[in-house]
Amino acid sequence: MECQNDDVSKQEHCSRKIQVSKRELETVFDAIDTMICIVDINLNIVRVNKGYAAFVGREIKALLGKKCHEIFFNCNSQCVDCPCLATFKTGKAVVNKRFIKKNPEDIRYFEVKTFPVLDSSGILVHVIEFINDVTDEKRMIEQFIRSEKLASIGVMTAGIAHEMNNPLSGISGTAVNLLEKPEKYGLNDKGISRVATILESAARATVIMKDLLHLSKKNESMHILVDLNRLLIKTTNAIHLEGAGDIQKKFILDESLPFVHCDPSRIEQVIMNIVTNAIQSVMEKKLRMSAEGKKYIGRIVVGSQKQPTTALITIADNGIGINPDIRRKIFDPFFSTKPAGQGTGLGLSVSHRIIEEHQGRIYFDSIDETTKFSIELPLESAGTITKEE
Amino acid sequence: MSSSVNLKKYRILVVDDEKAIRLMLLDFLEEKYTVRTADNGDDAWKLLENDHFDLVISDINMPGISGPKLLSEIRKKYPETRVALITAYNVDDYVRVAKENSITNIIPKTVPFNFTELDALVYGLLSGDVFGLGKYLDDGMTVLDSTWIKSSYEARDARERVVDVLENKFGTSGDMKLIFDEIVTNAIYHAPTLSDGTEKYQEFSDVTLEPQEYIYVECGYDNEKYAVSITDYQGKLTKETVLYKIDRQITGEGLLDDSGRGIHMSRLFADRMIINIEPGKRTEVILLNYFSHKYRGYKPLYINEL
Repeated sequence: MECQNDDVSKQEHCSRKIQVSKRELETVFDAIDTMICIVDINLNIVRVNKGYAAFVGREIKALLGKKCHEIFFNCNSQCVDCPCLATFKTGKAVVNKRFIKKNPEDIRYFEVKTFPVLDSSGILVHVIEFINDVTDEKRMIEQFIRSEKLASIGVMTAGIAHEMNNPLSGISGTAVNLLEKPEKYGLNDKGISRVATILESAARATVIMKDLLHLSKKNESMHILVDLNRLLIKTTNAIHLEGAGDIQKKFILDESLPFVHCDPSRIEQVIMNIVTNAIQSVMEKKLRMSAEGKKYIGRIVVGSQKQPTTALITIADNGIGINPDIRRKIFDPFFSTKPAGQGTGLGLSVSHRIIEEHQGRIYFDSIDETTKFSIELPLESAGTITKEE
Repeated sequence: MSSSVNLKKYRILVVDDEKAIRLMLLDFLEEKYTVRTADNGDDAWKLLENDHFDLVISDINMPGISGPKLLSEIRKKYPETRVALITAYNVDDYVRVAKENSITNIIPKTVPFNFTELDALVYGLLSGDVFGLGKYLDDGMTVLDSTWIKSSYEARDARERVVDVLENKFGTSGDMKLIFDEIVTNAIYHAPTLSDGTEKYQEFSDVTLEPQEYIYVECGYDNEKYAVSITDYQGKLTKETVLYKIDRQITGEGLLDDSGRGIHMSRLFADRMIINIEPGKRTEVILLNYFSHKYRGYKPLYINEL
């Protein structure tokens, strides 16, 4: 664009060219999926694209001059580690900052990149922010890593688990014989109590073996059309843990959810695992709060929702949350936060395997002390039976 | 169940390469019977050549000759000898092998081992005295209900009564409602046949049964389980048919089969399903549910055809 000539008509021509050029740029700016936001040094929004406005659900005009953290994160104070401020400070781009948008209904992950915008004299006046929603990508990668890990462990343990059943049955059976007729085997009271301990240990080992087999092999599985809402209520209400009576349980169930083709006993196992974890987390929190003399009401919300291609089950609690350090490990076999002897550490990895067998997904979001597990099971487009009135 | 008879005359051979299992079975069974053991198929043959055995219980996976092969050879050479397999593996994986070798009983090695069940099975195999709930419940059992079904209408009635009785007594009837219907439907509509072999009654039609077609239902419990028994007096079912149907359902080949699902579902939903057949005389299906998951492991295959 050359506008050095004083001639008026040429000026107009240049101005038109600039207008066209501006419109073109604006079109490109708005056509980009990525959310783009330009802010000044006070983090006031100078300009956003349509993608950004659509995501926050407001008109572009209504956003200008507002603080970016207020608009995007619904938060009065600026974000900790704000990448825009970092760019203002250093004059350099910041990439791959992950932010989490907390919303009771939905927890999403974003990748934020910020770049400096200089004026003609080279002074940093604005920062341009590119925000990508990477929630789905993040969940897919996590799911993939878990599947790989579990598959290899599964193959290895299948053989072991099977072979262990044989000696375990012999050990327990022999112990039963000894306990039935202690005098026949010259056993005194002390001996009897020791043999009883052997029997208990063998039973415990069997529980672990059985869980391992679930992990490693498609056991007998029967797929039928299941009313997930009913299954959720039935399973959740069937769990009675000592001291868990005062937890508020709430069901938010989508009545339009069609029957889902799945193995009810195995899905029940998954729900049972997750709800049990939720209850234990809430109970732990209650213990901690009462130690500090604080009031606390434990809540568990079990929900279902019909989505375009899947049935979504959610189980959320306000317990102790999942420590960021262990989030990567919770689906690993034998990983447990419970005291030794109170869990096999296989519940979530078995659940993961079961959901995978159903071609579904299981993932969780944990922010502060709110934990939400989500399970997606595919709805079949053909042959899906909707509930009759 | 086995008190007054002199059971020591019965000779049992136990074949298993796991010493603890061998000794465990020996210790338990020799209280009543005469028992020998072998740790592989070849040694078992040597014992069989020197002595008569009434029953051989063999492990499936052993070094050398496999359990099913061993039992199949025994059945050829000693047709009077009864046989049963025992395994720590999933019984379902061996139903086809059992079917091919006409073996109808597979005992699961549960943890802890279920001696009450073994006791009933062994006694049944040796004596042929297999019918009736009393064979499968402890001596101190209580009968909750017994009734004759004389029409399709009474079948619904009987089902409701059994389910009510179980729910009142134990707070649950398992999936008995579902299974009961399947088994009774089989007994009413698939058991009675005309002289040309076709089924006498159309499925789900209103039917009044002839006296010889009446169905007997009994339910009871002992200290660790409750049980329901359903008997028809046609005896049309054969062990081959049962094995064929169970196998087809396990492998998925029979997923769309109209018949056979009832038997499969019963096996799936109840903790135990026992089928007793006296050809041409009666067929009894016994369904057992345990009060707790005490015995961990797989479900057995129990079919007795006299």
